[in-house]
Amino acid sequence: MDSQFVGDRGSLDLNEILPSVKEETENIQNEKRLSNAQADKSASAKQQNEFVRKIYSILEGGEYPEIVTWTEAGDSFVVVDTGKFTSQILPNHFKHSNFASFVRQLNKYDFHKVKRTQEERKVWQYGELSWEFKHPLFKRGQEENLDNIKRKIGTQKKPTDRSLVLKNTEGQEYVLDTEASMNLLKKKTVSIDAFNKVKKKVDFLTRDLEDNNKRYSQLNGEFEKLNNKYYTVLESLLTFKTANDTLVNKFNTLCTSIADQGIKLPDMIQFSVNSPQRELELTTSGISNPQSVHNEINLGENSDDPLPIHKANKTPSISDLPNPILENDENINTIDGDLAQGDTILKKGFNVLLVEDDEVSIQLCSKFLIKYGCTVQVVTDGLAAISTLEKYRFDLVLMDIVMPNLDGATATSIIRNFDNETPIIAMTGSIEHQDLITYLQHGMNDILAKPFTRRDLYSMLTRYLKNRVPLSQQVNIPADVVHKQLKPGSSNLESPLILDDMPPLKKSKI
Amino acid sequence: MISNIPTEVIDWSILNEIISMDEDDPEFSKMLIRQYIEQVTTTFNDIGNELDTTKDLNKLNSLGHFLKGSSATLGLQRIAWVCERIQNLGKKRSAGLDEGTVKDDQYYLDLIREALKEAKVEFILAKKELHDYYKTDF
Repeated sequence: MDSQFVGDRGSLDLNEILPSVKEETENIQNEKRLSNAQADKSASAKQQNEFVRKIYSILEGGEYPEIVTWTEAGDSFVVVDTGKFTSQILPNHFKHSNFASFVRQLNKYDFHKVKRTQEERKVWQYGELSWEFKHPLFKRGQEENLDNIKRKIGTQKKPTDRSLVLKNTEGQEYVLDTEASMNLLKKKTVSIDAFNKVKKKVDFLTRDLEDNNKRYSQLNGEFEKLNNKYYTVLESLLTFKTANDTLVNKFNTLCTSIADQGIKLPDMIQFSVNSPQRELELTTSGISNPQSVHNEINLGENSDDPLPIHKANKTPSISDLPNPILENDENINTIDGDLAQGDTILKKGFNVLLVEDDEVSIQLCSKFLIKYGCTVQVVTDGLAAISTLEKYRFDLVLMDIVMPNLDGATATSIIRNFDNETPIIAMTGSIEHQDLITYLQHGMNDILAKPFTRRDLYSMLTRYLKNRVPLSQQVNIPADVVHKQLKPGSSNLESPLILDDMPPLKKSKI
Repeated sequence: MISNIPTEVIDWSILNEIISMDEDDPEFSKMLIRQYIEQVTTTFNDIGNELDTTKDLNKLNSLGHFLKGSSATLGLQRIAWVCERIQNLGKKRSAGLDEGTVKDDQYYLDLIREALKEAKVEFILAKKELHDYYKTDF
């Protein structure tokens, strides 16, 4: 026969189930054996409830009144002594090895233990430890009823409605609780919404990644192109520099030979004649100057650029040489050489407005300016510079760029609305190409890179004030007239001013 | 910036020029240096406070710029270099390989904090060298 494993909610407790299965098998085998032995009795009934008939015959025979007996009413029976019942009756008449399994078998035939309270037990005539069993049809002297006492048709064995039965090849059934299996499935699945969301996200990310990869390779290509261009430019720059060096050498040689022939050269050029070796040094100073890499960058970026930038150069000629405009001016104005007497070009008494927020720079710059015979007024931000220039005129303005309240470049562009003459020089540590252009676009005339030396400052002063008479000494010319005269000129303030202030002698020479 | 930090603490070509002004005014350069040292101390504190409180990169940029200016004016080029780094970090520019990729503010704030430490070391070195020259404590 098929053995059945019944699990509660999907869990199979074999330890609990196996004994009862074994027991049942034994019972059935017993019944078979007995039924063979008592073949004269009703075959169908005998096979059905031999277990019950055995109990009945034992009770009716009254063989063990001390152990098991009908109650007085005869509608139930009592196991008085479970110990003796187990040791004497069970081995002889039943295959049950213990009392508990006998009781279970009784339960299966729908016998029930009659329950009593503690109090009732104490007064119970068969003793506290006795077990009384009852079945509505199992009564003394009513053997005919026995046919109707049947084994319950396995409520236990029948799978419940909500259970899932799995039959394997050996015919064994595994019963799993449907609800449990659903839970199990639910745990392992996700809602379709969530799935779609994730899928969308993955799709999006995949596309994004592809896009980025494309863009990356594009950029990479562009970067390589740019890099190539950069090297090309760098190469041509170096070629240019070599050519320039050669040219300067030749120029120096030329100057020397001209000087040898007794022709007097202008001051600026004379210098290079006197020390051609030094001149050569200067042209390469950008590379060899260890002072800062800024210089080198500066040279690299601007060597073919007309922006007037004056770094920390050691002699005036260096700063003057690379600037073609100034060179021309000097050639025109000093071709005679009479006036060109180095430092003496600059008259005393120029009034300079210094716009600067750093106290150390103010101290130092003022000191230098005073040393060169200037008078200095200091303001510390762009707004103050504007209001000061609205009230007073200055020969020159030195303007820091980064300042509180208003930066120097913006201040200059405002000042240029009412004063287009006064030279305004930017003082800045930033020498980035774009910044320099911005300063010039804002109306600043020139750029003095920080930190600057006395020489740098001096060349800047000579560039804009050379040959000029300080405003404080121009008592005869009303300021308005000067303005009107100058305005028609151009944004290049230098030439008209120089012409205007030039002594009659010089003017006639031009 | 691509440049490396200068090897010499002081660019003497610049400082010597300032010292030469002492001819007219014997205490001039010393006065300037004292003023500078006061400025550095204040600005270091300002940067530190900024890092601890408002964490405003723009403010740090201008503080770095300010100190760079006065350091460079006196030829104290190593401090100036570090200050320029602070300035650039304030503009979210770092000198390393990560240049070009923009990080969150905290990334630059951390780097500025490092740079500030470096600047303080450079300040000590500069003070020592100035002390050796002037034989005076600043």
